[in-house]
Amino acid sequence: MKDQVKKWLESGTVDIFLGMKMVDGHPLPHAFTLGNISDLEELVPGTVRYPLETFAAELAAENPDARIGLAARECTQRALNVLSLWNQAPTDRIETIKLNCCPSPLKEHAACSYLDPPEAGLFKKHFGIDNAADPEAVARFEPRERFSRWMYEFQKCIKCYGCRNICPVCFCEDCSLEHKDLIGTGQLPPEAPIFHLVRAVHMAGRCIDCGLCEEACPADIPLRLLYRKVNAVVDDLFDYRAGEGEQPPPFNIIGERPSLEPKPMENGSACPQR
Amino acid sequence: MECKFVPSVCSYCGVGCGVLFKVVDGKLTGTLPLKTHPVNEGRLCVKGWNIHDFVNSYLRLKSPLIRAFGRFIKTDWEEAIKITSDRLKDIVRQHGPDSVGVLVSAKMSNEENYLAQKFARAVIGTNNVDHCARL
Repeated sequence: MKDQVKKWLESGTVDIFLGMKMVDGHPLPHAFTLGNISDLEELVPGTVRYPLETFAAELAAENPDARIGLAARECTQRALNVLSLWNQAPTDRIETIKLNCCPSPLKEHAACSYLDPPEAGLFKKHFGIDNAADPEAVARFEPRERFSRWMYEFQKCIKCYGCRNICPVCFCEDCSLEHKDLIGTGQLPPEAPIFHLVRAVHMAGRCIDCGLCEEACPADIPLRLLYRKVNAVVDDLFDYRAGEGEQPPPFNIIGERPSLEPKPMENGSACPQR
Repeated sequence: MECKFVPSVCSYCGVGCGVLFKVVDGKLTGTLPLKTHPVNEGRLCVKGWNIHDFVNSYLRLKSPLIRAFGRFIKTDWEEAIKITSDRLKDIVRQHGPDSVGVLVSAKMSNEENYLAQKFARAVIGTNNVDHCARL
């Protein structure tokens, strides 16, 4: 990877390369340029993840001529795909070097902070929702119990906005979560569950399942699970999976018509039974 | 185009969470939690997430102000310290050393807190020393 980046910087393929550098034992994001090319010695894949694609999109927006290189995990690539479909990142000016991350039988030595999540405690398992559970397992709870379990999780929220701030596909200038007519201000926990559900709805067809929100959550709310659920609904209704392909997202309402048609109805019902 | 990522410690409370500042062309433009920091392990509270806002705030106090004639007047550190010490001396002379209290901070280092109590006990002559974590 170091040689490739060096080649790119020297040939001018990219003006700046965003990757991880080891600093005093901490892998930190670093912008490699021709000016600090000796830093490349310390370029590491890094097991921790920062939203490098967000930095790249911001740099690209501020410098219309700059070409940007990026050490890209699979989640980074999905995020870039979504950002490009929403016209937030000029992918023609962003080059990526793919990193070994999400594990599969074909590649064992995956490096990702998500591979080793903390285990849920007993209380959380009994009264809340295990972050490692899958959406089907959660759907099997009785509705009343499911509601109380989700409310237990939501009421821990300290409204730090960390989930939104770290999210690589959150780019709106005006955020509904800060709109005082939509969500009341001045109380903690924030209005539950509306605060979390507003964000969940906005993640539908957009969330790329990177899990950075859950990693950043001081209250350990199973956000990734929640957004997986809304994405499953979008997949069922529109046959759309965020981060894959070149199809515009179903909720892009700019233009005359919605950009995506619902899937053909099943058994005469527009919404599949669940 | 210059982009730097600077690790630091949150300046708000005594916990001391690790933060990562994003500096673009010499201007602080963003704050992120330091993922590998042993204290906060990649999490921050709402204040920590917004440090770059107060650093760049136009309301930020950048020089000492002296209240005179009912208004705040800008001054330099030398004069501010001189006036403060004169006033403290006046107060101690008139009302005794126990009329002064020294409040220190959880955010300061041990050494600074030590100096502050030394100042209270040895210079002013009072045991009225307390700490913001106990207020």
